[in-house]
Amino acid sequence: MTDSFHRWNGTDSYIADDALAAAVNVATALQRPLLVKGEPGTGKTLLAHAIAEGLGMELFTWHVKSTTRAQDGCWVYDAVARLQDSRFGDRDVRDVSQYIELGPLGRAFSSDQRAVLLIDEIDKADIEFPNDLLHELDAMRFVITETGEEVKAKHRPVVIITSNAEKELPDAFLRRCVFHYIDFPDEDRLAQICRVHHPEVDDKLLAAALRRFMALRSVKHLRKKPTTSELVDWISGLRLAGIDPEKLQTTLPFAGVLLKDESDAQKAAKAGAADGSGGESGGGSGSASGGGWRGWR
Amino acid sequence: MFAGFHTMLRSAGLQVGLTEWLALVEALDAGIVEPSLRSFYDVSRSLVCRDEGDYDRFDQAFVAYFEGADLPPGLKDKLKAWLSKPIERPALSEEELAKLQELDLDALRKLFEERLAEQTERHDGGDKWIGTGGKSPFGQGGQHPTGMRVGEGAKGRGSAVAAARARRFRNYRSDRVLDTRAISVAIRRLRRLERKSRRIELDVDETVRKTARSDDLVIVERPERRNQARVVLMMDSGGSMEPHTRLVEQFFSALKNGGGLREVETYYFHNCVYNKVFSDMERFVGKDVDDICRSVPPNTHLFMVGDAWMGPYELLAPYGSLEMVTSDKTPGIDRLLQLAKAFPKSVWINPIPENYWHAETIAQTREVMDMVPMTVEGIVEAVSALLGRGPKRDHREPVPMWTRDGVH
Ligand SMILES: Nc1ncnc2c1ncn2[C@@H]1O[C@H](COP(=O)(O)OP(=O)(O)OP(=O)(O)O)[C@@H](O)[C@H]1O
Ligand SMILES: [Mg+2]
Repeated sequence: MTDSFHRWNGTDSYIADDALAAAVNVATALQRPLLVKGEPGTGKTLLAHAIAEGLGMELFTWHVKSTTRAQDGCWVYDAVARLQDSRFGDRDVRDVSQYIELGPLGRAFSSDQRAVLLIDEIDKADIEFPNDLLHELDAMRFVITETGEEVKAKHRPVVIITSNAEKELPDAFLRRCVFHYIDFPDEDRLAQICRVHHPEVDDKLLAAALRRFMALRSVKHLRKKPTTSELVDWISGLRLAGIDPEKLQTTLPFAGVLLKDESDAQKAAKAGAADGSGGESGGGSGSASGGGWRGWR
Repeated sequence: MFAGFHTMLRSAGLQVGLTEWLALVEALDAGIVEPSLRSFYDVSRSLVCRDEGDYDRFDQAFVAYFEGADLPPGLKDKLKAWLSKPIERPALSEEELAKLQELDLDALRKLFEERLAEQTERHDGGDKWIGTGGKSPFGQGGQHPTGMRVGEGAKGRGSAVAAARARRFRNYRSDRVLDTRAISVAIRRLRRLERKSRRIELDVDETVRKTARSDDLVIVERPERRNQARVVLMMDSGGSMEPHTRLVEQFFSALKNGGGLREVETYYFHNCVYNKVFSDMERFVGKDVDDICRSVPPNTHLFMVGDAWMGPYELLAPYGSLEMVTSDKTPGIDRLLQLAKAFPKSVWINPIPENYWHAETIAQTREVMDMVPMTVEGIVEAVSALLGRGPKRDHREPVPMWTRDGVH
């Protein structure tokens, strides 16, 4: 291992704590993929951008969908275009290579400089996807079956993999990754993050907004807790509308930005964390008499 | 002494093998670990833990081992001692042992010692290798002249042991009750792939290949492969299920998205099944149980999800339902029996731990339907039973242990 590895520490626009920075540095130095998990909006996707920026590398993003196959990241063969051309086109269809396009993984491999490859939302893909991907990531090369051409990584890219799911990944895969879970930020860190996006924000407004936001997040059994990005958006709205911080103590303007689910809004109102009409709670249930099953409702 | 840490991690239930140990050595060698316990904590955690459920175990092991050792000076000796004592043998697999033999351990150890000495020296001498204090580690035209924004102030840099002792990740542990991947994998075993589908698909690859080789367009077709397995899922959305919401949602998403089933038909009920089940519980849109039972397609499995915890009359009495819309003369238990008969492949999945299953209504429900806990093992067991590979009880008429006084 050479000493050429650059310590990454976050960027001006990305707030990282020591643990996250350590995980990133372990991954880049050991040349292992970094698997990042965390609630929605905790900055998983943005992290890859910040790493690329901080290390001065190009970023290749591979956004995974339910239909994505591991091979798609390497290359895509446009068979339909070729078929089309064979009937009506004037291209020479015998030259298969015209119909091959490298995917993000392929492009990161062929990049002249070490690059960052983001494999975003790996949990969205089919269950076999990570296992298929393992092979390419281990070998750092693949062969395009249509042309027999081998694509080999000039430099091992820094691989960042994000996931939302509990544990969708096979053990063999996990064993090769450096792992980091981005915990939901505490109030101080949230304030830092908000300041990055709203450097000019009024201290009072920020404090008041954070207090309401934290109260909302503490409401039990929400379907979808408000996230960091929603907080950032919400503060934009508050600032644009020139909302008085005092007012935030009693009302919750633009509540829809924070709580998108109707039943969540009701739950929050019930808990007194948001205003709303459905304040009455508990319709006089007859006292449950009898044995050990009280409270089953 | 560090072998002790390793042992501690393992006894906390973490899978720390040679791979992880070597990775840690490599990390030390690469100069990532700063000579502080906090840094050692961050780095080793990123290599040892595989999901957030592991964090709490890691924290416990860390506290247990390093309590009172929150000072960097001793670290060096400990690391050295650790390296001098390779991990106990039984912990290693054949493959790992072979790997270990290939390695020149002495060379590794020496490398490591040099590194550590160098780092400590540099650390004492100045800030060079940590690279804070205005010396940008990137050294690129002052892009980040003040260095990075990490660890500003004292707040971010709590002591490692204090951080570990806080055990902030304690609640993530319960998440492991359900491993959605394992469940998806289990459910997939229900799959029945058949190419006998009447639907024909275009074999694009073959078509192109043949066409490219001939002068004319050659269309290649084949029957589509389709999974024939279906699931009817009925879920209790009653109040006592609230604490299990997350668990049930996870199960539901694993079943729906990961299982690759041909169809998942979902209904809700409140506490028990009566004459109707609902696709929309809030607006009471649903289907008659009689209708569902009348036409069950082949290869259909019935999954009931619920705690089966309710008032006895809700299960046993005519008109036992708490909701007007499901006011039904037939007692709930008979509706369950009706379902069990209509679906020869059925199972009840209960999020309540098994040690509570002696509760009256749960026990009675089990008389009618096989019940498994909502855990990975439970669902694997359920799938085996559904595939006829496990022990399966036959559905008999329930013994009249709850007398119905002929009201029926
Ligand atoms: N550490 C951070 N520093 C700066 N901004 C942040 C940070 N974390 C989150 N944000 C803000 O939150 C937004 C959402 O981040 P991002 O899209 O990366 O989240 P995510 O974890 O990928 O979410 P999802 O799981 O929904 O994809 C960012 O655009 C940014 O505005
Ligand atoms: Mg994202």
